[in-house]
Amino acid sequence: MSLPIIPYLQEIARLEWLHKFFFVRTAPLVTPSYSRGFPELTNKTCTHALFCMMACPAPGAIDVIKTPDGWEPRIHKGHCIRCGLCVEACPNGVLTSGRILESMFNDSTRLSFSFRIDVDTNLCMGCGNCAVACPVNKLIDTQMAYGGRASTDQLLLKVSDGKCHVLHAELCTGCKTCENHCPNEAIRVSRLLEAVQIAEVEP
Amino acid sequence: MKIEDVVCTFCGCLCDDLVVEVDGRRVVSVENGCTLANEKFMGDHRLQSPIRRNGKGWEHISYDDAIRETAEILCDADRPILYGWSGTHGEAQSIGIHLAELLGALVDNTSTVCHGPSILAIQEVGHPGCTLGQVKNRADVVVYWGTNPIDAHPRHMSRYTTFADGFFLKEAFRDRRLIVVDVRKTESANIADEFITIEPGGDYAVLSALRAIVRGKREIIPPSVSGVSREQLFRVADLLLSAKFGAIFFGLGLTMSPGKYKNVRNAIELTEELSRHTKYTISPMRGHWNVYGSNEVFTWITGYPYAVDFARGIAFYNPGETTSVDVLRRKECDACLVVGSDPGAHFPKACAEHLARIPTIQIDPHTNATTHLSRIQIPVAVTGIDAEGTAYRMDGVPIRTRMLFKGEYPSDTEILERLYTLVKEAKGP
Ligand code: SF4
Repeated sequence: MSLPIIPYLQEIARLEWLHKFFFVRTAPLVTPSYSRGFPELTNKTCTHALFCMMACPAPGAIDVIKTPDGWEPRIHKGHCIRCGLCVEACPNGVLTSGRILESMFNDSTRLSFSFRIDVDTNLCMGCGNCAVACPVNKLIDTQMAYGGRASTDQLLLKVSDGKCHVLHAELCTGCKTCENHCPNEAIRVSRLLEAVQIAEVEP
Repeated sequence: MKIEDVVCTFCGCLCDDLVVEVDGRRVVSVENGCTLANEKFMGDHRLQSPIRRNGKGWEHISYDDAIRETAEILCDADRPILYGWSGTHGEAQSIGIHLAELLGALVDNTSTVCHGPSILAIQEVGHPGCTLGQVKNRADVVVYWGTNPIDAHPRHMSRYTTFADGFFLKEAFRDRRLIVVDVRKTESANIADEFITIEPGGDYAVLSALRAIVRGKREIIPPSVSGVSREQLFRVADLLLSAKFGAIFFGLGLTMSPGKYKNVRNAIELTEELSRHTKYTISPMRGHWNVYGSNEVFTWITGYPYAVDFARGIAFYNPGETTSVDVLRRKECDACLVVGSDPGAHFPKACAEHLARIPTIQIDPHTNATTHLSRIQIPVAVTGIDAEGTAYRMDGVPIRTRMLFKGEYPSDTEILERLYTLVKEAKGP
């Protein structure tokens, strides 16, 4: 009886097998003709509105970085899923990919952002950190930024009756400064992203 | 009617930018104030008229009877205590001290159970402090040590420190660094750049370690000091030293934990050490809206900030002996007048028991824990709502509180003046 090792060696030492093992060839990864590529820059000026980052569903896929020539979005290819939302979201057309810009133009569509701010009044202490830090409030009423004395009701956030109140949610730019600086985790900013026909938003 | 620039008489921040809407004798809304301010202005659980215990329960009595009986109790007592004062205005405090002198009583304010140790430390090494305006306009590093302003002084950060833009800091919270030191993770710690968790009672050691590091003695620091790693201490010291102007605020976590006034002294000495390199100030986070005022008024009139004993006919001050907790514990006093504070809720059990044993009279707009220990309670107007008077903010800035409407209650000043007149008559010329 031959030793069991011999047939085993015979099996793996087959030339054909060895050849396949060492010189394997799979078909190269090609992007199919119907698929769009990664977003690319169009050379339009980025205004650092960060809509691309807000729209991106893939964590870590896009950053807007400061270069000597100004702001510039950077796509991280390992993370990008090529959904094209950033291209659609950018108000300045800084990015392009496939026929997205073209079809948006033809169909007069765009992505509309709105923000919803929720305050949990059970948690809110009315400390005013959010209303004082809010950059939108600061532009409307400078006094607000210098210590929380509101002199108008046109503010985005204002403390009254001991709690933070959202007066004009439509002014929110989604920066989440309030959310990040709320010590009680009482304030949440959520983003509503909708595709709309341009006629609808600008009648 | 909307009234602007109303002063909130709740915490030591004494915010003076509230907008309060009143309708006759009712507060309708409060703007700009925090939750605590809202409760203070909107709450209406006032006691309707003076009450007295009659063996079975409480009976309503007239102001005249209540004041007369109070005067009698105080005149009959051998060792009365007049305690509280932080929840009333300066004018009433000053009458209180004169009343104590007349009675040969012991007069003490609430710092005895809060920042008394800070005062002892300040008496030893001084107070490198400043007004909150300086902090707002200059401080680029803010430290909260043993205090949770979000709960106790909600607007401190948004009005005076981290979030408020100032003359030299146009982007406040981006330009300022916030360090929070506490024994547990508080709400304030949630938004800190650096949070140091200290083992309970470890403040003194950590302060000493920071002093050593600032002195340039990094090599002597052990790997961990009271639960704080050496690396973090180095990082915090570097952060402290990087300031152009730093402000340290400390609370009862420092004054009332083991080490007491020595902790505060060490913190002041750390401030001094830091000021060799850059500019640093340190201030206590005073609790009651006018507790600073009680220290001020006590000091002008008697020379001492709290725990003043007139039993010898002259002002005598010896914390540990003439502080109300110690006097009550020794069961030494035989009558107590409580004004604008709630010792029933804050004193040790033994002291509260003694308060219940002796005749205790409370002058306060609301019923509280002390009511349950008292024999008589006299309701008064709330300073800042239906009474006015001077208060001192936690940084020592005097602010005149406003009266929003004239109500039916007499103010603390009126009640105390009548009490003083009666006692003076009884004592003779
Ligand atoms: S922080 Fe203090 S003084 Fe200011 S509104 Fe709140 S309770 Fe009143």
